[in-house]
Amino acid sequence: MLATLEPGLQTHNSAASVRIAVKGLDFYYNEHKALKNINLDFRDRHVTALIGPSGCGKSTLLRIFNRIYSLYPEQRATGEVLLDGQNIIGNGIDINELRSRIGMVFQKPTPFPMSIYDNVAFGIRLYEKPAKSELDDRVEAALRRSALWDEVKDKLKMSGMGLSGGQQQRLCIARTIAQKPEVILFDEPTSALDPISTGKIEDLLEQLKSEFTIVIVTHNMQQAARISAYTAFMYLGEVIEFDTTNNIFLNPGKKQTQDYVTGRFG
Amino acid sequence: MSETVIPLLQPAPQPRVRRVRKARRVADRMMRIIAAGFTLMAVTVLFWILGMLIVKGVSGLSLATFTQTLPGPGTEGGGLANAIVGSIILTFLGIAIATPIGVLAGTYLAEYGGSSKLANLIRFINDILLSAPSILIGLFVYVILVEPFGGYSGWAGGVALGIIAIPVIVRTTEDMLRLVPASLREAGAALGAPPSIVITSITWRAAKAGMVTGILLALARIAGETAPLIFTALNNSFWFSPTLLGGVSNLPVTIYQFASAPYDNWQQLAWAGSLIITASILLISTVARRLVRGSK
Repeated sequence: MLATLEPGLQTHNSAASVRIAVKGLDFYYNEHKALKNINLDFRDRHVTALIGPSGCGKSTLLRIFNRIYSLYPEQRATGEVLLDGQNIIGNGIDINELRSRIGMVFQKPTPFPMSIYDNVAFGIRLYEKPAKSELDDRVEAALRRSALWDEVKDKLKMSGMGLSGGQQQRLCIARTIAQKPEVILFDEPTSALDPISTGKIEDLLEQLKSEFTIVIVTHNMQQAARISAYTAFMYLGEVIEFDTTNNIFLNPGKKQTQDYVTGRFG
Repeated sequence: MSETVIPLLQPAPQPRVRRVRKARRVADRMMRIIAAGFTLMAVTVLFWILGMLIVKGVSGLSLATFTQTLPGPGTEGGGLANAIVGSIILTFLGIAIATPIGVLAGTYLAEYGGSSKLANLIRFINDILLSAPSILIGLFVYVILVEPFGGYSGWAGGVALGIIAIPVIVRTTEDMLRLVPASLREAGAALGAPPSIVITSITWRAAKAGMVTGILLALARIAGETAPLIFTALNNSFWFSPTLLGGVSNLPVTIYQFASAPYDNWQQLAWAGSLIITASILLISTVARRLVRGSK
C-alpha cells in the first residue's frame, strides 16, 4: 500500500529526511488487534496529522511513539518503529530516556499540582542539573515560546492548576518544549478548548514546526488542513491513505478518504 | 398493534387514575413521615449523649483538671493532667507508626498492585483488620510486646493503636490515589519520569489533602480507643516514666476505671475526660472536613 503512496510524497518534499519510520506495526489491547500492519514515514521538522473517525486507532498509534502504552501491561506492539534508525519498541530501550526525547501533549490539559515555574522546570530537572539562573532562563524561554509568559510572569509561584483551560494547555506545551525534545506528539490538543484558545495553540504549532518533528491527532479537518504538511487517514486500525495534506484534502486517492474529509462519514 | 394504540388516545378513565394517584400520595407521605421520624430518633439520641456529656463534663472541668494528676482512692480533687499528656503521646506514637506503613501500603495497592492476586489478598486482609475487634489487637500486642519484655509500656500501647490506625490509612490512601486521573500519571511518564518520581512528586501531591484527611480520621479513631490500651499501656495514677516503660496514664482507661468507681470526684473526672476526648475528635474531624473541601 505504501508503495502506491510514495510518489506523491516525494514530489512534495524530497529534502526532508525521515525521522520516524513505522514498519509492519501491529498493536494489541489484550487479544484485540487495534492496529494492523501500519507503515508510515514521519518527516523531520514537519507536521504530520493523523485523522480518522473515533476508534480508528490514531491515538493508539500516537501513544506508541513515546511508549506510553507500556504503562499498561495488557497493551503490546509488534513490528518496527524506527527513531533515527533505532527500533524503539524493541527490547533494551531506556523508555524514560526515550520519553524525554519525545514529548507529548494530551487532550485534556494536565498541569501538575505544583507552581507554574515547577511545572515547566519538572522535565528539565529530571535529566539535567542546570544552575538556578540557567533554569530560570529556560523556564522563561519555554513560557515565551508557548505564548504564556506575559500572562504568568508575575505569578510563577502560583499553582498551575489555577490557570484557565487554554493557559493550562499552553503550560503543558511549555513544559514539553522546555525539555528540548526531538519529536512532539499532540493528542487532540485543542478538543477541550474554546475557539480563541484553539487559535492560540494553532499559532503556536505553526511556530514550533520549524524546530520539532510534530505528529498531531485531530478530529478537526480544518485544523489538519491548516497546520500539517502530511496527513494520514486511518480507519478501523489501518492507514487507508497517506499523502501530502494538499493531496489528501484536494485530490484524495481513495473514495473512503474523500468521503471522510468532505464530511460524508465519520 | 393499532388496537392497543387507539384506547390510549381516548380520554383515560379518570376516577381510577385519581384513586391510584391518591393512594400513591398517601404512601408517599407515610414514607416521608416514617423516615423523618426515625431520623429524629437518631438525632435525638445523639444530642442526648452530647447534652449529657456537656452538662456533666463541664461541671467536672476546672483548672485543676489540666494541672493536677489523677487522684488516689479516697483523696479529694485531682485532675487529668498526666492522662491527657499520656493520651496525646500514645495517640501520636500510634499515628507515627501507622502513617509510613499505611501510606506506603496504600501506595503499593493503588500504584503497583493493580488487580493482581497479591494486591487483592492484601485488600481483603486489610478489610478484616479494619473491622477486627480492638480488644483482640490489645491481646495480640500483649502477647508479643508486654509479656516477653516483662511489663506494660507506652510503646506497646502506641503499637496497639498503630495497628488499629494502619488499615484506616491504607484504605483512604488507596482510595485517594485512585481518584488521581490516569492522565496526570501519563503526563509525568511522558516527560520521562520513572514511576517513583511520578508517585512522589505528582500523584502524592495531587492526593495530599485526601491522604492527610485519612491520617486525621485514623487519629480520631484511635484517640478514644480503650480496649487495646488495657492490655498494653494500662494506666498510671502518677506521672509516667519518660522512657514510657511501665504503665502510661491515658484518658480512655482512666474513664473506664473512674466511671465505675464509688468516688464522686472520680466520676466527675471521668465525665470531664469524656468531654475532652469528644471535643478533640470533633476538632480533628472538622479540620479533616475542611481539608477535603479545600482541595476541591
